[in-house]
Amino acid sequence: FFQRLTGQKPLTREDLSLPIETMQKQLQAQNVSAVAAREICEAVMQDLEGQKLGSMTRGVSTAVRESCEKALQRLLAPKRSIDVLREARAAKAEGRPYTIVFIGVNGVGKSTSLSKVCYYLKNNGLKVMLCACDTFRSGAIEQLKVHSKNLGVPVFEAGYNKDAASVAVNGIKQAKDTGMDVVLIDTAGRMQNNEPLMRSLTKLVAKTKPDLCVQVVEALAGNDATDQLVHFDKALKDFSETTVPRTIDGMIMTKFDTIGDKVGGAISLVHATGQPIIFVGTGQKYTNINKLNAKKIVRVLLQ
Amino acid sequence: MVLQELGSKINGALSKLNTASVVDEAAVDSVLKEIAGALLMSDVNVRTVAEMRTNIKREVMQDSIRAGSTSKAKQIRNAVFNELVRLLSPDVDAYRPVKGKANVFMFVGLQGSGKTTSIAKFANYWARKGWKTAMVCCDTFRAGALDQMKQNAIKLRIPYFGNPLEADPVKLAEEGTKHFRDEGYEIILVDTSGRHQQEAELFEEMEQVMDVVEPDEVIFVMDSTIGQAVADQASAFKKSVPVGSVIITKLDGHAKGGGALSAVAATNAPITFIGTGEHFDEMERFDARSFVSRLMGLGDMRGFMEK
Ligand SMILES: Nc1nc2c(ncn2[C@@H]2O[C@H](COP(=O)(O)OP(=O)(O)OP(=O)(O)O)[C@@H](O)[C@H]2O)c(=O)[nH]1
Ligand SMILES: Nc1nc2c(ncn2[C@@H]2O[C@H](COP(=O)(O)OP(=O)(O)OP(=O)(O)O)[C@@H](O)[C@H]2O)c(=O)[nH]1
Ligand SMILES: [Mg+2]
Ligand SMILES: [Mg+2]
Repeated sequence: FFQRLTGQKPLTREDLSLPIETMQKQLQAQNVSAVAAREICEAVMQDLEGQKLGSMTRGVSTAVRESCEKALQRLLAPKRSIDVLREARAAKAEGRPYTIVFIGVNGVGKSTSLSKVCYYLKNNGLKVMLCACDTFRSGAIEQLKVHSKNLGVPVFEAGYNKDAASVAVNGIKQAKDTGMDVVLIDTAGRMQNNEPLMRSLTKLVAKTKPDLCVQVVEALAGNDATDQLVHFDKALKDFSETTVPRTIDGMIMTKFDTIGDKVGGAISLVHATGQPIIFVGTGQKYTNINKLNAKKIVRVLLQ
Repeated sequence: MVLQELGSKINGALSKLNTASVVDEAAVDSVLKEIAGALLMSDVNVRTVAEMRTNIKREVMQDSIRAGSTSKAKQIRNAVFNELVRLLSPDVDAYRPVKGKANVFMFVGLQGSGKTTSIAKFANYWARKGWKTAMVCCDTFRAGALDQMKQNAIKLRIPYFGNPLEADPVKLAEEGTKHFRDEGYEIILVDTSGRHQQEAELFEEMEQVMDVVEPDEVIFVMDSTIGQAVADQASAFKKSVPVGSVIITKLDGHAKGGGALSAVAATNAPITFIGTGEHFDEMERFDARSFVSRLMGLGDMRGFMEK
């Protein structure tokens, strides 16, 4: 069987279908969505059909693996790259604070990621201020206060049940007045289909016109992660009153430390949305923030 | 396959029957094979799936009337529905609190799954029924965790126990539960930090908390958006502590909560409540039938629910 396949005969669909199907199942079991897995495998089929296998030792499944690896790498390669530190320094040079808004559904890790980004920027010599615009969830303001104390940075807050957009606007104003380089704005979690809450988020984003609007998603989530991103982006467009709405610039993917080898969520998300993953969260400490390591993800997926 | 796709997979398989001209045993077999594949890829236990397949086939083929293809599809759909409901209804029952004595519930789960919020809802549920209810905070890790519980407790007018100066969750658990047991509380809810199986120390800590709390029931709180990792995590929790029931949160979003199947399969514990919002009254009793309806895309579960 292998003799025939490893020879000089060009590969046919029949030769490829079984190993590709196996690959697709493996990807899906690791949390790659069915749509993304199918398309990746489609690409592999197109890549390999009609090709001749070079050396005798290289079996069909190896060829499929290699082709799949290439397809995955291509997918994860950022179309736009976002360097937060460089952008923040550029804003500083212009004499204005750099603003980042963190948005997302409940409990994904917005506030924690915000504190990690604060730690990262502060360690790179920037003056960072936190802005507590989750005025809804119990303990949300105290949560930011704890981070502010731990990290030695100021926090702007105006209490609970306040209009989040106004708090953000006032926070940015205070940051300007006190010579801050960066403002990190925390928002309340909300479900992507909760229209009133999505409207108020749109208002906050429109009023603050942040330099960076990041959506936080969990690596734990399944298909819903894509749904979250698509609907947040759509809401920011649909509910905006301006002709050029401020939409999502990229994402932070959290809780990578909790998923073992089921790292496929990153693939599904980038595949479906084309948004770059700016950072990944890999734990609950301030230092557990990294740039996306595409090689590693692909290696884990194909191991 | 990602769990939420289960419903559409099942419907896709069934719709093939609608277009088939004759529905013979082979056609039924092929549909069931597809459905079984979908379930297997949703991490549903292999044996359970095999059993389910046999049950459905028996039910469907038993009917000797040469039904048309459309009604055959309906019949299979019903059979799948019933089997999924059965799957979500394990033989064991959740713990029933006993009036006049301390009933201690310990809440565990992954980070951000909704433990602290579900405790507030659960407290509200029992307090409104007239049970003497209290909460204990053993989360010494998450920033602002005690403030979160405190603010919920004040809004609900329910007593809570916590100590910002104590860093040891085991001590807090011991003191807090003892305090409320001595005071004659009937429902005592113990909140713990979020944790995951990859950090062995966190699991050890959970076991130590459990040893001092001696809960009547351990409740696993699960976020409905979770994907393939749920089965691994749920079984790891079950191995570490005796999970007695499950609460599924955030079902007010878009997620269908297909992971619930895996959680039940992994923990063999019944789902008791579902969370449908951030407010204290947004928790409903779990009903397997309306849940499966939603999962299979047969319409929303709301309205079916018993409050
Ligand atoms: N293991 C792990 N836990 C994380 C990570 N990021 C956040 N968490 C935990 O997830 C839980 C929720 O994090 P938060 O930052 O409060 O989430 P949030 O999105 O701000 O939540 P809401 O404001 O309530 O919507 C906390 O227990 C965090 O410690 C991560 O990368 N890995
Ligand atoms: N929309 C919605 N949000 C929920 C539901 N249950 C909890 N939440 C929200 O989810 C977020 C996380 O909830 P928490 O109760 O803090 O979660 P936790 O498991 O205690 O988190 P850690 O202690 O950090 O592990 C908060 O924003 C809650 O308001 C629900 O059923 N629906
Ligand atoms: Mg938050
Ligand atoms: Mg909590």
